[in-house]
Amino acid sequence: MEKVASFIIILGTFLWLFSVLALEGRWQWQMFSALVLIVGIFWAHFWEELRDTDDTEESGEE
Amino acid sequence: MARERVSQADEWQAWAQRYDIEGGIRTFESGLTVKVFVGALFVGLLMMPGSIYLSYVSGESGAGAAPWVAVILFTELARRSFTTARRQELYMLLGLTGAAVGSGLQYRNFIWYAYFVNTPQAASYEIADKIPDWIVPAGDSVGVLTRTLIHPDWFLPIGIYLIGKLLGTLRFVSGQYILFRLTADLERLPYPMAPISAQGATALAETTGKEETWRWRVFSIGSMAGLIWGFLYIGVPSLTGVMMSQPIQILKIPWIDFTQSIEGFAPTGVFAFRTDFGQMLFGFVLPFPVVMTEFITAMATQFILNPQILYRYEILHQWTPGLDVRGVGLFNGLDFWISYGMGKNFSLAIVGMAASIPMVIKLRKTQKAAGERGSFATPPNRGDFPIWLMGLMWLVGMGGFIWLIHWMVPNFPLSFLLGYAFLYTPINSYVTARTFGVLGRDLFEIPYLHEITFILSRYEEIDIWFAPLPDEDYGRGTQSWRVLELTGTTFTSNLAGTLLIMPILLVSGIVVLHFIWKIAPIPSAQYPFAQMMWPINATNECLWKTSLRDGNSQMLQAIRGDYVSAGLTSSLAIYGMLWVFKLPSMWFYGIIGGIGADPGGMVARLLGAIIGRFYMIKRFGMRRWYMFNPVLAAGFACGVGLIGMGTVAIALVSKAVIVKPF
Repeated sequence: MEKVASFIIILGTFLWLFSVLALEGRWQWQMFSALVLIVGIFWAHFWEELRDTDDTEESGEE
Repeated sequence: MARERVSQADEWQAWAQRYDIEGGIRTFESGLTVKVFVGALFVGLLMMPGSIYLSYVSGESGAGAAPWVAVILFTELARRSFTTARRQELYMLLGLTGAAVGSGLQYRNFIWYAYFVNTPQAASYEIADKIPDWIVPAGDSVGVLTRTLIHPDWFLPIGIYLIGKLLGTLRFVSGQYILFRLTADLERLPYPMAPISAQGATALAETTGKEETWRWRVFSIGSMAGLIWGFLYIGVPSLTGVMMSQPIQILKIPWIDFTQSIEGFAPTGVFAFRTDFGQMLFGFVLPFPVVMTEFITAMATQFILNPQILYRYEILHQWTPGLDVRGVGLFNGLDFWISYGMGKNFSLAIVGMAASIPMVIKLRKTQKAAGERGSFATPPNRGDFPIWLMGLMWLVGMGGFIWLIHWMVPNFPLSFLLGYAFLYTPINSYVTARTFGVLGRDLFEIPYLHEITFILSRYEEIDIWFAPLPDEDYGRGTQSWRVLELTGTTFTSNLAGTLLIMPILLVSGIVVLHFIWKIAPIPSAQYPFAQMMWPINATNECLWKTSLRDGNSQMLQAIRGDYVSAGLTSSLAIYGMLWVFKLPSMWFYGIIGGIGADPGGMVARLLGAIIGRFYMIKRFGMRRWYMFNPVLAAGFACGVGLIGMGTVAIALVSKAVIVKPF
């Protein structure tokens, strides 16, 4: 789960850099990157806070 | 390199433990006694004129020192009288003196708007004649022109303020108390930062023994440093300002501007070295990673990002050589940084929500699993109030407040006010109370809420910008109830003290501010900070207050979607990458604070942080250094405050004396 969150965040960051460098920083693309980053950050925090309690319920997840 | 992942809550709680005291206590006593009440009034009212004066001269009021001065004096008097000072008394003294010394500054908006109404900016943006009379009398009224607050012209603004204050007290006391009962009693949240506030009173109460303590020594060192610094920085310009038309400044107030010196190699960069070395004391206590990352990012902004990228690609296009820090700041803001800052603020809100929502869910799960839950039953003798009474107080306070706002802006849709009052405020306050309970700080804040509301309401009059809105947050205040609990102070004594001192402070505050205004116009050469900052503040206020007018304002034109998106997305990317590489979340707050900021304003704070981290902690040990910090800061601010009081006294006397030509 941690790796998924990291992947989404890195993907969002690359998307943003791409939108700025190659797509003239159009706001639509930047906002799309922001959406990806928001999903990644929420995912990261949900995993971080709930991992102890989730471990008991989802054994073998991590 | 396998770094261990630490959650944001753990990271901040670990920082809080540096100041922690051992546990809480569960025996409660009243902290309100006659000597506490008189002591608070004496020190508070003695230092209040100095603090108002200092805030106009240097931008720092030094009001934070007064409570500690009172406590140090109180404990030493107790020690020399062979009695002891209880921690409840000391905590009450802290609160009441703080209220007393700040009582003058609560009216500072009157002075600001009395200046603003007659500024060329307000006239050129066509809002000078549209400022409502419940904020300030007309620009040509006697009350404004003769600089007198005690005049019938001011009765309406002052009356509205007093009614608002009364209704606000009803709402905030009851709102905070109800949320405290929910989060601390029922949900058993830890409030990790509350022990820090409790520590001062608790530690000092233990020193009222017979032997001399280290506190006096540390306090005296701080006071002497404050006296010397205060004399050079505040005393010399203020005293020479009384005698000469142009005061002498040994160190320029508030900054030495190097912006024009760096424009050769860093065009559009700003560097105004802030000369207030009192800021070093903030550096001693602020988390080191925050101070360091903030400074590095600010340097990178002004020396690389602004000149090498934003200026080169003509994003910063209004800059011309020869501008000072204020001009460069204004143009850079309009070109890029205002838009970027908006996006940055939205990212803070999103990050806050991402951190707080799972925290709320986790706590509920943990409580459910452990089978333990607090109850609404109160500890004996804590001095609690019936919940229904508090609920009723809140309803009366909020109902009255809405009526007042409706009277001030009758054409503004009532549904927005009701929505804010009965939907947004309770939810916002509850979420903040929870984040304070877990993390000790606010995470949940929706930026530009007022602006969004004004757009949605389609209300175009300018008066709404001056009216208060009922979007309140009682969550922060819940921590102070927890501190009362930790120091064993009964709630009833605290409330009684606050209510008893309030009328005295409401009257004395306005009288003192009236006399200080009489010394010289604010701003003028006598008040260098106000003279430097207020004109630019007036321009900014005009830009904001006209931002939604006709859909064609200067501010609206400055806000660009691609720059707002850049602010939002880059901040989220920074936060995300820090998380991916398991770096402290404190870095994020430092980086975000530093982007676009002037590094010159951070030098003193950085110096303090470096000295604290690399010398003081090694010399004294971490625990002792963090014990010294508040006492040293109190001593320093006391020294500066004494200089402020001395100079304001001399200035008042000199204005009261009429020199005859024979």
